[in-house]
Amino acid sequence: MAGLELLSDQGYRLDGRKATELRKVQARMGVFAQADGSAYIEQGNTKALAVVYGPHEMRGSRSRTLHDRAVINCQYSMATFSTAERKRRPHGDKKSTEMSLHLKQTFEAAILTQLYPRSQIDIFVKILQADGGNYSVCVNAATLAVIDAGIPMRDYVCACTVGFVDETPLADLCYTEENGGVSSLALALLPRGGQIALLQMDARLHQDHLETMMEAAMIACKGVSKVLDEVVRQHLQEASALSRD
Amino acid sequence: FRGHGTYVDEEKLTASVAGEVQRVDKLICVSPLKTRFNGEVGDVVVGRITEVQKRWKVETNSRLDSVLLLSSVNLPGGELRRRSAEDELTMREYLQEGDLISAEVQSVFSDGALSLHTRSLKYGKLGQGVLVQLSPSLIKRQKTHFHNLPCGASIILGNNGFVWLYPTPAQQEEEAGGFYTSLEPVSLSDREVISRLRNCLLALAAHKVLLYDTSVLYCYESSLQHQVKDVLKPEVMEEIVLLTQQKLMEHES
Amino acid sequence: MLKSKTFVKKTRSGGVVKIVREHYLRDDIWCGSEICSECKPETTALQRDARIESSLCTYPHYLIPDTNVVLHQQIDVLEDPIIRNVIILQTVLQEVRHRSAPIYKRVKDMLHEKDKHFYTFTNEHHETFIEREPGESANDRNDRAIRVAAKWYSEHLKTFKSISDGLEVVLLTNDQGNKQKAKEIGLQVFKDEYIKSLIANPELLDRLALTNDEKNEISRKVLFPEHLPLSKIQVGIKAGTFLQGTYRASRDNYLEGTVFVHGEGEESTEVLIQGLTNLNRAVHQDVVAVQLLPQDKWVAPSSIVLQDEGTAKDDAGDEEDEDKKPTGKVVGIIKRSWRPFCGMLNVSQIKESTRHLFTPADRRIPRIRIETRQASTLAGQRIMVAIDGWPKDSRYPNGHFVRSLGGAGEKETEEEVLLLEHDVPHQAFSQSVLSFLPKMPWSITPEDVAKREDLRHLTVCSVDPPGCTDIDDALHCRELENGNLEVGVHIADVSHFIRPGNALDQEAANRGTTVYLCGKRIDMVPELLSSNLCSLRSNVELAFSCIWEMNHNAEIVKTRFTKSIINSKASLTYAEAQMRIDDTTMNDDITKSLRGLNKLAKILKRQRIENALTLSSLEVRFHIDSETHDPIDLQTKELETNSMVEEFMLLANISVAQKIYDEFPECALLRKHPAPPPSNYDILIKAARSNQNVEIHTDSAKALADSLDVARVDNFPYFNTLLRILATRCMMQAVYFCSGMDSDFHHYGLASPIYTHFTSPIRYSDIIVHRLLAVAIGADSTYSDLMDKHKQSALCNNLNYRHKMAQYAQRASVAFHTQLFFKSRGVLNEEGFVLFVRKNAIIVLIPKFGLEGTVFFENKDKTGPNLVYDEEGPTLTVLQRTFHIFDKVKVTISLDASNIQHQKIRMALLEPMIPGVSVPAEDLEPLSKKSKIDR
Repeated sequence: MAGLELLSDQGYRLDGRKATELRKVQARMGVFAQADGSAYIEQGNTKALAVVYGPHEMRGSRSRTLHDRAVINCQYSMATFSTAERKRRPHGDKKSTEMSLHLKQTFEAAILTQLYPRSQIDIFVKILQADGGNYSVCVNAATLAVIDAGIPMRDYVCACTVGFVDETPLADLCYTEENGGVSSLALALLPRGGQIALLQMDARLHQDHLETMMEAAMIACKGVSKVLDEVVRQHLQEASALSRD
Repeated sequence: FRGHGTYVDEEKLTASVAGEVQRVDKLICVSPLKTRFNGEVGDVVVGRITEVQKRWKVETNSRLDSVLLLSSVNLPGGELRRRSAEDELTMREYLQEGDLISAEVQSVFSDGALSLHTRSLKYGKLGQGVLVQLSPSLIKRQKTHFHNLPCGASIILGNNGFVWLYPTPAQQEEEAGGFYTSLEPVSLSDREVISRLRNCLLALAAHKVLLYDTSVLYCYESSLQHQVKDVLKPEVMEEIVLLTQQKLMEHES
Repeated sequence: MLKSKTFVKKTRSGGVVKIVREHYLRDDIWCGSEICSECKPETTALQRDARIESSLCTYPHYLIPDTNVVLHQQIDVLEDPIIRNVIILQTVLQEVRHRSAPIYKRVKDMLHEKDKHFYTFTNEHHETFIEREPGESANDRNDRAIRVAAKWYSEHLKTFKSISDGLEVVLLTNDQGNKQKAKEIGLQVFKDEYIKSLIANPELLDRLALTNDEKNEISRKVLFPEHLPLSKIQVGIKAGTFLQGTYRASRDNYLEGTVFVHGEGEESTEVLIQGLTNLNRAVHQDVVAVQLLPQDKWVAPSSIVLQDEGTAKDDAGDEEDEDKKPTGKVVGIIKRSWRPFCGMLNVSQIKESTRHLFTPADRRIPRIRIETRQASTLAGQRIMVAIDGWPKDSRYPNGHFVRSLGGAGEKETEEEVLLLEHDVPHQAFSQSVLSFLPKMPWSITPEDVAKREDLRHLTVCSVDPPGCTDIDDALHCRELENGNLEVGVHIADVSHFIRPGNALDQEAANRGTTVYLCGKRIDMVPELLSSNLCSLRSNVELAFSCIWEMNHNAEIVKTRFTKSIINSKASLTYAEAQMRIDDTTMNDDITKSLRGLNKLAKILKRQRIENALTLSSLEVRFHIDSETHDPIDLQTKELETNSMVEEFMLLANISVAQKIYDEFPECALLRKHPAPPPSNYDILIKAARSNQNVEIHTDSAKALADSLDVARVDNFPYFNTLLRILATRCMMQAVYFCSGMDSDFHHYGLASPIYTHFTSPIRYSDIIVHRLLAVAIGADSTYSDLMDKHKQSALCNNLNYRHKMAQYAQRASVAFHTQLFFKSRGVLNEEGFVLFVRKNAIIVLIPKFGLEGTVFFENKDKTGPNLVYDEEGPTLTVLQRTFHIFDKVKVTISLDASNIQHQKIRMALLEPMIPGVSVPAEDLEPLSKKSKIDR
C-alpha cells in the first residue's frame, strides 16, 4: 500500500541505522595467492571481491601502451547469484561497462601511474552479493587490493553513496533504500586531501541540497577510510609478524 | 628525502604504499610487503618466453617483461661465433614461446625492464621439472641459487620468486649449450620427491618463511611423516613449518 | 560512529525471490520515561506522574496499545485528551501504517502533540527484537513482539521502584488470546474493560468500536448474500464476468445507485444497481465488483424520490420499459472508503435501549446503528460516527460514536458539518507545518535585495474589496520616456516562503485552495503567510511582478517577469479608487497611475468583448452579508475599478500562461474551460423560444454572446439576466490540467487560447505557476516533482477536486445562512421566476435573495393533482395552468424545521392561484412536501 518509510520520525532507517551511520564493514586483504593483490569486502550485505594483477607488460593490443604511465584496466562484473533474481549476463552489459569505466577513472586518479611507464595494471572486481552501493563497495575493495599489490597510490580511495530523504542525507544506502525512489549520489574521495576522485549522480536533485549531500558523502567516505585504514594496518601487522619469525 | 614508496604531497612526505618504513640516514623508504620483482644486476631469475622477435621477451614477474638478446646467449658453436641474420630467423629453434629458462640479470633499463643473459652453462633452457611461483620477497639472497638437494632433486631459487624443481641430472657435462632437454621419463620416486618439495615450498610461502636451501631441506625432512598430498592441509602445513622453524633455529645456534 | 552491535538477518520471501535485509539492533534506544536514570535520551516524553483516573488501575501507568486497538477505531478513544502517557511501539506503528493511512496520520499527529505524552519506542531495533519463528504467522509474531516489549518495559521500570511510585505498564488489547498470553508472562493487560473503568469520561465508552463479540447472539435472518473473497473477484474481473467500479449512491433514492466502471480509454460505463439485496452493503464511494444481470432484468432508473424512512420495504420503484440501462448486482467490495460521517441520532423508541440508529447528513450514506448510553444528551446534536462493519444479517451497518460537533442548527456546528461533509481540510495547522514558517519578526534580508529587482520607487497600490485582509495583488502604471506606458501587476511572492516538498508545502498542496464561506475563511496556508507576510499592504513586501510595456492602445510591446521588492503606496477599496479617478481635483501619483490603468483596462475590456464571448455576468453572484444576513442588492452597479483590476489580472494570467507553456511545454500547469457540448444549450434555446420567442444562437461563443446581448424584452428587464444565469448553468467546469497530458487548452469563458492562475497565491495552483515562472526566468531552480507531468497531473486532479468541493461548501454555506436569515424573518411572500421545470415540480428563483427553491406539486401521501409534463417546452401543466420557464410567480417562503437535520427553505405557490395547489397568502399549510436549496 503505502511506500516504504525510509526514515522514521524517530530518525531510524529501515534497518535501524541513523541517517549518518554506515553499514558494518568487514574486509580482508590477500585472499588469493596467485594474484598480485586481492581483497574481499563486506559492506552490510553487499559483498565484493577485487583482484589486482600488475603492473605487468601490456597484454593484448600493444597500441594502448602509454609511454609515460601505466594503463589501468578495470573490469566489473556481478556474479549470477548476486541479485535476488538470477542474472543472465554476469558482465559485459551496459551497466557493467559503465561501472568498469567509472572504476577506471577513479583509480587513474589515485594510483601513481607515472611510476610504471609502458605497463598495465589490471583490476578485476566481482560483486558476489548486491545490496546497494555496488560502486562504492567495488571502489573500497579495489583500493584494498591495490594496496595489497604494493602499488603506490596517493591515498586510499574511499567511496560511499548518499541518498536524500526528508531533507536528510542518508549515508551508505542499502538496496531497499536505493530502490525507494531516493535521489542518490556516489562519491569517491581521497580523504586526506579531500580530493574527489569521482562523483556520480543520475537522479534529479535540487541544487540547494547538493551541498548538504556532498558534505554528508565526504563524512561518510572519511568514515569508510577509517575502517579501511584499520584493515590495512591489521593486515600489515599480521603479515609482518609472520615474516619476522 | 624521498625514497621509494613515498611521494611529496603539499610539502609533506607521504607514503604511497603500505609496508615497512626504512630509514637510511635521511632517506625514507616504504617498502611494501608484497610487490613485483625489482631485479638487480646479478640476480638469478627463472622466466618464461612470451615473445620471439629479434630478441626474446621473458616474463619474469617484474613490471615489464625482461629482454634476452640474441647476443646474450651462448649459441651452439662456441663463444666466438658471429651472430648472423640467419640466426635471427632460427631463434625460435633455440627457444620458443612458452619455454622456461633460467638466466641472470645483465643490466636494468631506464624504464625498469631487465636485460638477461644466459652466458653460463648453469643457465639456459629448462627441461622437465616443476615451476612454483612465489612472492619475490620470500627468496633469500645467497651466493648460489642452484642447489642439488640431498633428497634427490635439484632446485633453482629464482630471485624473482619463480622456483624451478627438477630431477638432479645424472651427468653435468651433457648440458651442452643449455638448449638440450632430456625427454627421458622421470622415475616415480623422483617425481614424488619433486612433488613433495613443491608442496613444502607452498607451505613455507604460506607462512612467509624465507626460502633457501636449508629451509627447504628441513621442511622436506619434516614433511616425510606425511603423505605428499597431505602436506597442503593447513594443519599439517602449520606443523611442518613449525618443525622447520625449530630446526632452523637449532641450526643457527 | 557505527553503533550497531548485533546483526540479524531478516528474510522475506515472495514467489521464488529471497531477499535478505540487514537489521541492526541498537543499544541507544531509550525508554523515554522521566523516571528512568539508566537511559540517556535527549528528551523524555513519558511523565513521572502518569495518572489516568481508572477504577481498574489505581496506580500510575503507561499504556501500550496493540495494533488492533489502534487500528480498529479505538483510535478515537486514544485521541481523547485524558489519555496520556502512551507508548506506541514501532511494531504497532508499522502495522498501522501498512493497514490504514488515515489512522497512521492520526497516530502521528498524536505523537507530535507534546501534551499527549505519547512516545514511540523503536522496539524493532532494540534488544527486544524477536525473530519470527517457524510456523508463526506475521500477526502472531507482532503480537509476541508487543508482549516482549511490554515485558521489557515493566521489568525496566521495576528497577526504579524506589522513585516510581508503583508505576506500571498496561497493555491494551482486544484479542482474548493475546490477553491470555500476556497474563501468562505477568503483564497487566486489559481489553475494553479498561476504557469502561475510566472514571473521568464515561462518554469514551461509546467511542469503542463495536467488536464482533456478539457473535454468539442467535443468528438472525441473513439479509445479504456473502461477499466474494478478493481472489475470486480478481479472477472474475480478469475473466470479464465482473466489473470493477466506484459505487455512487443516488441522492434521491436510497435503494438505487450506479457503479461507475472505468473502461479502457474512453469507454467508461455506468451500471445501475437497484434494490437492497443487489446493493449488497455497498456504501457510497466504495470500490466494488459488480456482476451484470441478464438483459431481461435490466431496468430504468426510477425517477421517484425515495427516502429511507425506516420502513423496510424493498421495492425498486416503478418500472418503465424504455430507457433500460445495464443493471447489475454487487458481488464484492474491493475497497471500502468509509470515513467518519456527520449526522444525527435517531433516538430509539425504547427508553433503556443503548442501540440507536444514526442518520448521516449525506443522504447517500445508509443509516448506521450505534451503541451509546448518552442518547439523551446526543439527541439534537450533530455527531460523527464511523462505520465498523456491516454484517450480512444486519439491515444497517454497525458503527460507533466518534465525537459530538455541537447542537444542530448552531452556526459553528453547521459550519463544521459543512466542512467535514465537503472534505475541506480545516483542522489547525500542525506543528510541523508551522515550523516551516519564517521566524518573526521577519524582514527582508540583504540577499533578497541582491536577488530581486528593487521596484520600491514605483507608485504601486492595491485595489480590493472593503475589509479584505489578504491583499495579494497590486498594480502600477507610469509613463515611459518613449511615450509608452509601463504597467505592472505585482503578486505576493508566496512561493518564496513555501519551499517545495516541506510539510508546509504538502499541507498546502493537499488543501489546494483557500475556502471562503460566509463570514469565514479556511486558509490554505497559515494566516501569518496569507494575511501578513504575503499581503501587499502599505509597506515593503516581496512580490512576483509581471511588467508590460504598452502603447496607448493597450497593445503589449514587451512583457517581462521578475521577482521584486515593492512598496505599496496605498491600499484602496474599489470605491476609493473610483472616487480618486473621478475626482478631477486630485492629481497625485497614485491617482495618475490609477487613471492610466483604468484607461488601458477599458480598452482591454472592449477588445476582449469585441473579440469574443463575454460572460461577465456569469460572475453575478448573490451575496448575503455575513453580519446582518441581509442580502446585498443584486443590482449594485459594478464599479469601473472592479473590472479594471480584473482585466489586468486576466492579462497577467494569460501572459504567464504563455510564458510557462513556452518554457515547459510538457509540464506547465494551465487552466482550461472546455466548450460545452451543444446539447447543453437545449434548455436555454427552448426556454428563450417558448417564453419570449427569442432565438439564441449557440454555434460559437461569439454567437452566443451576441444573441444574449440582443435578447432583451422591454417589459421584462430581468429577462436578460435570467437568460445569462441559465447560460451559466450550461457551461462546463473550468479545470486545471498539465500541458503535457492534454491538447485542448482553450478557455471558453474568457475566449483565451491559453490561461492559467497566477494572480492569487492563496490557491495552490498559483504557487506551482509561480514556481514554474521563477524557473523560467532563472530566479529559482526546479525540483523533480515540478517537472514530472504525471505527478503534476495528479496534483491537478486534487486541485480540481478541492476547488469543486470548495464551491459546494460555499454554496452550502450560503444556503445555511439563507436559512438563518429566514429563521429570523419568519414567513415571507416574494416574487420569483421559474428557472426550470421538472416532472413534478418547478424550480423558482427569487432574485431578491438570489435564492432558488423547488415548488412540488406532488405529495408522497396522496396522489398529486393532474400534472402534464411537456418535454418540448419544457412546460408543466397543473390543472390547466401551464408553467413555462421564466414565468413570473409569487411564492411564500418559510423555514421548514420539522427535520432538524435537514432544515429546509420551503416554498409554496401563491400566484397564480391554482385551487388545491396554491396556498392562500396567510395560510401556510404544507402542501408542498419539501423544497430544497440546490446550488
